[in-house]
Amino acid sequence: MKSYFALVRGSFMAIMMYRLSFFFTVIGNLLYIVLLYFLWSSIYRGVETIRGMSFNQAFVYVALAGSIFTMVKTWADWEISWHITSGSIIMDLVKPLDFQFYFLSQTVGFMAFNFIMIALPSALVLLLFFGADVEMGVGLLFLPAGLILAFLISFAIDYIIGLTSFYTESIWGISMTKEIITTLLSGALVPLQFFPDAAQRILRLLPFQAIYHIPLTMLTAPNLDVRACLGLLGTQVVWVVLLFLAGRLLFTRASRVLMVSGG
Amino acid sequence: MRTLLHYVRLYVLIATQYVKARMQYRADFWISSVGMVFTSIATVFVFWVLFHSIPDLAGWSFDEILFIYAFYLLSVVPLQLFFDNIWQLRFHVVEGSFIKYYLRPINMMFYYMSDMVDLKGWVQLALGVFMLIYASQRLGLTWNLWRLGVLGMALFSSSLVAISILTIAACATFWIVGSFPVMDLALKIRDFSPYPMTIFDGFFRFLFTYLIPIGFVAFYPSQFFLRPEQVPLLTYFSPLMGIGSFALAYFVWTKGVNSYTGTGS
Repeated sequence: MKSYFALVRGSFMAIMMYRLSFFFTVIGNLLYIVLLYFLWSSIYRGVETIRGMSFNQAFVYVALAGSIFTMVKTWADWEISWHITSGSIIMDLVKPLDFQFYFLSQTVGFMAFNFIMIALPSALVLLLFFGADVEMGVGLLFLPAGLILAFLISFAIDYIIGLTSFYTESIWGISMTKEIITTLLSGALVPLQFFPDAAQRILRLLPFQAIYHIPLTMLTAPNLDVRACLGLLGTQVVWVVLLFLAGRLLFTRASRVLMVSGG
Repeated sequence: MRTLLHYVRLYVLIATQYVKARMQYRADFWISSVGMVFTSIATVFVFWVLFHSIPDLAGWSFDEILFIYAFYLLSVVPLQLFFDNIWQLRFHVVEGSFIKYYLRPINMMFYYMSDMVDLKGWVQLALGVFMLIYASQRLGLTWNLWRLGVLGMALFSSSLVAISILTIAACATFWIVGSFPVMDLALKIRDFSPYPMTIFDGFFRFLFTYLIPIGFVAFYPSQFFLRPEQVPLLTYFSPLMGIGSFALAYFVWTKGVNSYTGTGS
């Protein structure tokens, strides 16, 4: 446990190196919120509610989806792929650490940094300056757990995607495809409520909505009760377990085909 | 003219080497192409979902948006195909391998960009052409030689704007350590270029028209074809915008290249 914690600390310190670049990330995120504001204002021009969502709800939903995006983006798929193709993976394999948790701890530091420095400030700006007043209920209490689980699901997917490099030695295409599918089908770009009903029913059976739609529902749905929130968390937990197990299974199979040439 | 021919020949030579090397990874090419398809249709998919709930976006119909998007895809093809190496610039600069580009008696920007041809740009080209034809048919637009000529001219200008925005962002690496967020920001902004600029007002309309002219990547020029009766005067300046921004990008590049001192290794 201690060694994993050291990795978390290390990754947090590493990202602190790039403070100036972090400044641009913040600017970028704020600008993105402004652009979304314009886009959604023109979508809502002349109408009060669309598909049961008010402008405020929809705007907070998509703008905070942007913050969640910076938080759950682990880059673990790129990192693992890089270790596999460059061969440095053998150095990871000889460490007396679990491969999956080793990469997980490395991304937790980034996540913590991005949450404190980017996601949280963006959310505050959103609430203060855009006057995005949404009624918040009991869902807010469940939000921290919801966000952590969302991060774990995102990591578990990235981990699986990264492992495919054992077979393909190529990452751009697979990672891009994963990224687009995740953002499109999860509510990250358009609230899930906007999808046609039949599509919504299918999307609710997929893990992607558990990354964005579930935490955002906790935040924007006005009348959630405790039981509904527990149900949402339960769905997330199921996905975390399933995807982590899938990742471990794939690793035991995939590491057999590993081939590292010379060094 | 002779230098131009010389450079074309050089480009073919350098690019062929790159393509040959890439041919080792056929699977990568196909997987990347699939990824490109998804990347290219993502925004259209968002519009498609949105238009289930709204009749128009700031007065523009789905078919019109589709046309603008097709135009956007086509205008970023040259950037994707011939300038993709700018994404590697920050690695070359930080690791010191950028020094290699100083050591040839040819234009540095040319040499640097020719080092890589991003083959998956063909996906954007194909999808762009397909969507353009599809949207034109739905909108009842007719094409003749003159209009195709205008399209070529408009795409030329737009692609220069798209190239310039990302090149300038990439050059930040000459002065900033860890410049990825700058490029990411530029990319995020560029992703808004297929949207009607009329959704913005005041400062942001001004910003995206003159300072970071993403309006010229797709929206303004495609009005020539969509609503020719109400083309704003500004649109006629597209070629100037394209050439002007590329000149600026080249200037920034030269400044950056001259201030680079290497990594000492």
